[in-house]
Amino acid sequence: MKSSKDHKTKLHELVTVLRSKNAGPFLTTFDLFFDDKKLYQRVKNSGVLSKALISRLYKLNEQEVEGIYFVDSVKGIKITIAKPANMTSGDSHCRDLFGAQQHPPLMDIEIP
Amino acid sequence: MNSKTLKILSTATYGFGIGGDAWERGMGWSPDAIVAQGTTSDGGPAYLGTDNPSGASMMIKEDLTTILLSAKQKNIPFILSCGSPAGSNVELERALDIVNEIAQKNEIHLRVAVIPGELEKDYVIDKIRSGTPIRRLANNDALLEFLSEEEVSRSKRIVAQMGPEPIMAALDLDVDGVITGRSLDVGLYMALPLKMGFDKALAAHMGKTSECSSLICEPQSYDPVFATLAEDHFLVRPTNESARCTVNSVVSHNFYERSDPVREENPGGILDTSHAVYEQYDSETVKISGSQWIPVSPYTLKIEGVSHVGYRTICVCGVRDPILINCIDGFLGETRKAVEKRMSPLVAGRDYELIFRVYGKDGVLGDVEPVIQTMSHELGIIIEAVAADEARADSVCQIAVDYMAHMGYPGRLATAANVAFAYSPREHRLGSVYRYNIWHLLELEDPCEPFNIQVRDFPKEQ
Repeated sequence: MKSSKDHKTKLHELVTVLRSKNAGPFLTTFDLFFDDKKLYQRVKNSGVLSKALISRLYKLNEQEVEGIYFVDSVKGIKITIAKPANMTSGDSHCRDLFGAQQHPPLMDIEIP
Repeated sequence: MNSKTLKILSTATYGFGIGGDAWERGMGWSPDAIVAQGTTSDGGPAYLGTDNPSGASMMIKEDLTTILLSAKQKNIPFILSCGSPAGSNVELERALDIVNEIAQKNEIHLRVAVIPGELEKDYVIDKIRSGTPIRRLANNDALLEFLSEEEVSRSKRIVAQMGPEPIMAALDLDVDGVITGRSLDVGLYMALPLKMGFDKALAAHMGKTSECSSLICEPQSYDPVFATLAEDHFLVRPTNESARCTVNSVVSHNFYERSDPVREENPGGILDTSHAVYEQYDSETVKISGSQWIPVSPYTLKIEGVSHVGYRTICVCGVRDPILINCIDGFLGETRKAVEKRMSPLVAGRDYELIFRVYGKDGVLGDVEPVIQTMSHELGIIIEAVAADEARADSVCQIAVDYMAHMGYPGRLATAANVAFAYSPREHRLGSVYRYNIWHLLELEDPCEPFNIQVRDFPKEQ
């Protein structure tokens, strides 16, 4: 039987918004918003959203994770990553002109 | 200055469709000016590279008609960026042709301060030669850390995101309004407030909040928004009666397309919204205060430029056979080898690119796709070649297409052909591929130096 301590939830179950978009042609930015302050704090305090995790999910070096921002006043989290050099907006290997469908790897992140 | 306010009706010039009840409602609130942006890098580098933009649409003409006639009727200035989407000179001139048609058709006279946003390559090269460091704005290996003369020469076209200063100079002239090519969206909004002595941080934040119209509202739409700027705050509300601005909807949009949620580099300073206070003023209006402007020296402008990568030829096909779907990676690997063999001594990656976009598997996420084994019963595949000339791109694509059509794979039963081609002809030239090779900061002593303000009358003399 699972104890409540073991209960993990996937990130997409906790948010009201989870999206990706270009921040200019060279960066992809992810926004997460929460309605409930407790859920926001749970994700923030878990420490799960780290440069190590993001770089692993998106196959980057940690330096290519530009920033992970927690904005308490609006219960929002922003993560910005560099695009691969041959995959900048509109370049021949670009798969997603707006960068708007790059968020799925974040959705199943488990949060304790 | 206590009760001084400035009211801005904010919309866009992309041709999203802006007239109707919401527009009338907004105009009914007696705005002091209409501000609208219509240039962006969102559409990617091809729009800046092309010499033959797809042509300003009927929708842009309708929307510009709405804006210009309303402004003229109420004798209020309009401040617009036009030339959607990239704001190059060729696109700007097409938009100005539309302005001319509107003036003729409606029998009105418009005197417009036109400020093109394109930079001559020689101008940028001279800056480099005089020792001005032009540093990249994004840390990405696709960009030279400092712009070189060779990279500028290699570029096709360069535009700059002008700040509010050239627009302020233009507003000093006896004109009905200002139309720029590529410009900084926020700069369009800052110009009039700065001339009138309003707080710079609030003016910038008001611009950032208003520039995407009703994407800051719930529900989202393309209707205009209405901002009222005061001494120590600004208000923002929708013009659409069934929409509202909420603290959530406004803040969520402040994150949109920004690399940093609270700090934004602008010409001459940083807009810092980390201490901004957002309040629900009434059921549809949000009040914002506490924005900060941190002056930065030297003054810098963001410049954007593209270079030509090559030409693209594609083929669109589907795969429905489950045995092939199951071994598609290996099959595409063999296709690649066949292309490399036939194209030799030309080398993949150096002399041409062969790209497979496999929708239903990893077309969107590529190697970042967490789903390892596709469960799709069908795949959509774009076979794509990019090369320095069209004939070579055609050849690469055709070799891949011929291999994929008929060559075998383990366990194959369907030996007639492997793919469902969508079209005849099978291969299609998609034209030029560009990439952004310039995304840098140009230091300036005079914010107006690169820009040339032209006063033009519409309709033009025949």
